Amino acid sequence: MARALVQVRDLHKSFTRGTERIDVLRDLTLDVGAAEFLALMGPSGSGKTTLLNLIAGLDQPTSGKISVGENVISEMSESELARWRTRHVGFIFQFYYLLPVLTAYENVELPLLLLPLTKEQRRKQVTTALDLVGLTERMDHRPGQLSGGQQQRVGIARAMVTDPELIVADEPTGDLDTKSADEILKLMEILRAQLGKTIIMVTHDPKAASRAQRTLHLEKGQLVLDTAAH
Amino acid sequence: MFGMPTDAMTPTGFDPSMFMLSGYLLGLLGGMNLVAIMLGAMTLPVFFVVLFTVEQVARVTANATGWFPAKLVLYMFRGLRRSPLRTSLTYIALFVLTLVLSMIYSVLVFIGNVTTEKEADFKAIATHKTIIPSQMPRSHYEDFKKQLAKLPDGMRPKNGEADIMAWSFFLGTTDPISKRPDSNVFAFCIEPKKILTMMDGLDNLTGKEKSDLDAAVAEMERNPQAIVMSKMRMKKMNLQIGQTIKVTGLNYNDLVFDLTIIGELPDGKYDNISFINSAYLFRQLDAWKINNPKNRTSEAHPMDAKCINLIWVRLPNKEAFERLASAVNDTGNFSNPQIKLETASSGFGTFLEAFKDILFGMKYLMAPAMVAIMCLVIANAISIGVRERRTEMAVLKVLGFQPRHVLFLVVGEAVLVGLMAGFMSTLIAFKMIGNLKLQIAFFGAFFVPVEVLVYGPMLGAFVSVAGSLIPAMAAKNVKVAEVFARVA
Repeated sequence: MARALVQVRDLHKSFTRGTERIDVLRDLTLDVGAAEFLALMGPSGSGKTTLLNLIAGLDQPTSGKISVGENVISEMSESELARWRTRHVGFIFQFYYLLPVLTAYENVELPLLLLPLTKEQRRKQVTTALDLVGLTERMDHRPGQLSGGQQQRVGIARAMVTDPELIVADEPTGDLDTKSADEILKLMEILRAQLGKTIIMVTHDPKAASRAQRTLHLEKGQLVLDTAAH
Repeated sequence: MFGMPTDAMTPTGFDPSMFMLSGYLLGLLGGMNLVAIMLGAMTLPVFFVVLFTVEQVARVTANATGWFPAKLVLYMFRGLRRSPLRTSLTYIALFVLTLVLSMIYSVLVFIGNVTTEKEADFKAIATHKTIIPSQMPRSHYEDFKKQLAKLPDGMRPKNGEADIMAWSFFLGTTDPISKRPDSNVFAFCIEPKKILTMMDGLDNLTGKEKSDLDAAVAEMERNPQAIVMSKMRMKKMNLQIGQTIKVTGLNYNDLVFDLTIIGELPDGKYDNISFINSAYLFRQLDAWKINNPKNRTSEAHPMDAKCINLIWVRLPNKEAFERLASAVNDTGNFSNPQIKLETASSGFGTFLEAFKDILFGMKYLMAPAMVAIMCLVIANAISIGVRERRTEMAVLKVLGFQPRHVLFLVVGEAVLVGLMAGFMSTLIAFKMIGNLKLQIAFFGAFFVPVEVLVYGPMLGAFVSVAGSLIPAMAAKNVKVAEVFARVA
């Protein structure tokens, strides 16, 4: 069996609120294969976003081990994680989080500024990414001049512009109408199928989850169900 | 001195001078700040135009080079335009700070220049030993010249008579009935040729100004009833060259001067001051003794024994000064009244002695207090911006930006405003206020030193950094997972 891209072992995450300790994730173990489309579902407070953040290197576990590819990210420092994220992880947010003072082109270019690329190389990658999401003609528009669906597509272009192997998406269709949501999910499928990206998506929407190959259900910080799509 | 307490004001021993000093300082500070705020508000459109222009330069540079720091700087400029109101208020705060502190610095530099002792060819001033304003009889001037002649070789004034000058202050009015201030004429009564050899601030005249002044001095020599007035005063009194005016003395009662305006002083030189030939003053004093119908006992005019206010001399070295000072202090040489000799700078220093607390307050209390307050103002403004953009900063960190990049962004935005505010305020101080050439008594025109063009932006940048550091540290330490958890 091929080695999983993402390996989570005995993961535990807790927060302290005042004197109270809250266990968000408890003894969680899972594998995510390369080029797999995985959906994470569960009620509010089940820990799915926390799990996503941990796999994406945005937070450190209280205990346990997380490996993505050859990198054991649970042992990295904050600055090492920042450098790792630039090259290996793309993020798609529910509310897009594009920088309002930058154009679509400049938003997509942002992660590339941190890599040792020439100006021409950056231009090529940005235009390729925007072309893939069908927004080349809007590259000089600011987010305020784009619709919600277009902004999310820019967000997707930004997420894949550094050619990461892992893309994480936190409720990517949560703020979109049905048609736009469908377009976004189609794009994500293309990323997986044609470009071999591994996608982990948190969602409340069963329709969105049905587009994934596998769905994990979390409850009270523990994995309760693991279903593969038919 | 006006405004300072006397013993009569403190019958119970309570000294109100600190409250009065505080009042003066607060009044001064309030006035300066008000003017600075108005100027800051007026220059806001210029600031935004400059900001936009520099941003375009940054954009072109960033696009042409693709250089990461250039892109970061461009992002900073875009960030400043995001909230024009907050950027404007930050700009005005820094503008006020740098303008006010530049003016305080300029005042202190001016005072420093005037009170700096020179080593050679410096001026000394003889005044009444105890009374201000100084008043001496004419005989003291003659006796002073005799003492100069007694100095050994190498200690006497290099240019002889040309290096000695006496001033008599004359205040009169062209409207003796209502005595309105705008009809007053204040003049130095001096020997005309001493204007060219001994008066300060006349070294940098244009060719025409010099030749006009030479001609005016020659005419004053020829016609003792000639008067040379400043352009500003003539404009205020609606007078022209060639006009004859009748000036009734206010400090010289019962003396009426018939004067002909034969010239004007160069722009910015001795504004609101005129020059009259002292021979005419002395002639009028002597005539009063003889001709005044009220003077039945032929006594001298009450001001006759007080008509010399200051005696100036240019001495070649310190030894000459010390020798002459010793002679002047000798009551056998000068009594009734006794006089003293000081260098011009120490004379001014003595005059400033009464103001030393105010100057101390300006330098060591007001200036640091303003810097500290503005740091807090900047910190508050930047904090609000950081709080609003917390999610944005979290996104940058998610994308791989290091904490130092986020810190640099926040501090950099503040520094851009600080630099521009500092530069614009000091440019205004230098070009506008400095070019007003405000004449300060006889010490020359007040000027704004050119180094404020460097100090101003540096001060603006420093305050920006100091004020934005704590909010920037908070931005740098934004916890990504917490931000998105809150948003979710």
